[in-house]
Amino acid sequence: MINSDGQLYTIEGFAAALIMLITAYLVVNATSVYTAGDTHINDMQLEALGTDALKMMDVAPNNTISTISGTPLQQILSATPVTPVNKAKFDEEFSTILHQGAFQNPNTIHYNATFTCRNSDNSTTPNLINSTRDLTGGEHSVRATKWVIIKDTNGNACDRDEEQAVLVEVLLWRD
Amino acid sequence: MARLNDDAQWIILMGFIVSFSFFFLALVINQSTIVGQTTAESVIEFPKNDIRDIREVIGESVKSDQIANINKDITFISMQRKSALVWYENDTGTNPTNIEIHYNNGVTSYNETWTLP
Repeated sequence: MINSDGQLYTIEGFAAALIMLITAYLVVNATSVYTAGDTHINDMQLEALGTDALKMMDVAPNNTISTISGTPLQQILSATPVTPVNKAKFDEEFSTILHQGAFQNPNTIHYNATFTCRNSDNSTTPNLINSTRDLTGGEHSVRATKWVIIKDTNGNACDRDEEQAVLVEVLLWRD
Repeated sequence: MARLNDDAQWIILMGFIVSFSFFFLALVINQSTIVGQTTAESVIEFPKNDIRDIREVIGESVKSDQIANINKDITFISMQRKSALVWYENDTGTNPTNIEIHYNNGVTSYNETWTLP
């Protein structure tokens, strides 16, 4: 006759294995839980996008095919920043780079761009370049910055009229 | 004297093992959130783009004939807009070879002696 003393242990072993497998499944599945710490992934993505966009705008055009000197960003900052032409120029370039993607999605990223010059008394003044929407204070925004050296500052918003370094700051947020 | 029946000892022991494994797995899930949080915070706090940007503009500025003014621009604007202490100095002359850069925003400090090619 076959000895069947171990049957119960075998069944229990199977039950325990099953419980552990289910636990492991639950643990693996739980990684999809969106914790508060994960918000940095979206923030960093947006910050990288903004920084890259500013960097692209600060690349000079090819001199052999273009007679324009200076990068698009330098041209915008050297000119009077309040003119609608420069606002539109900044918006056109910056928004286009921000919303480049596989889909023709609507403009879901908003920004508020300013640049800061040093005055002759060593104080600083931020000047608005362009804003797609007024800041209400409730936005979850990230900041992207870019240093730009501008040569021709005659007539722009800066206090001093000489070659100087200015800081472009852009607040970015999604709808 | 009646013999004690100890047939179920293994089952009880297995029950303990299973419940302990549950406990430790729960502990792992519990800690993962905290680990993620601290990692995220340290990633956000590290001013990677700021340092890259400051290096780039400093590299550009030494080519300019307004080095002293641009140096002041960078120092003052960094302090007032980014709360970062920036100090840099380069060899004078027509062909500077070394730039000493110090950056400190209170959390991260970055020091570099940049040798120009």
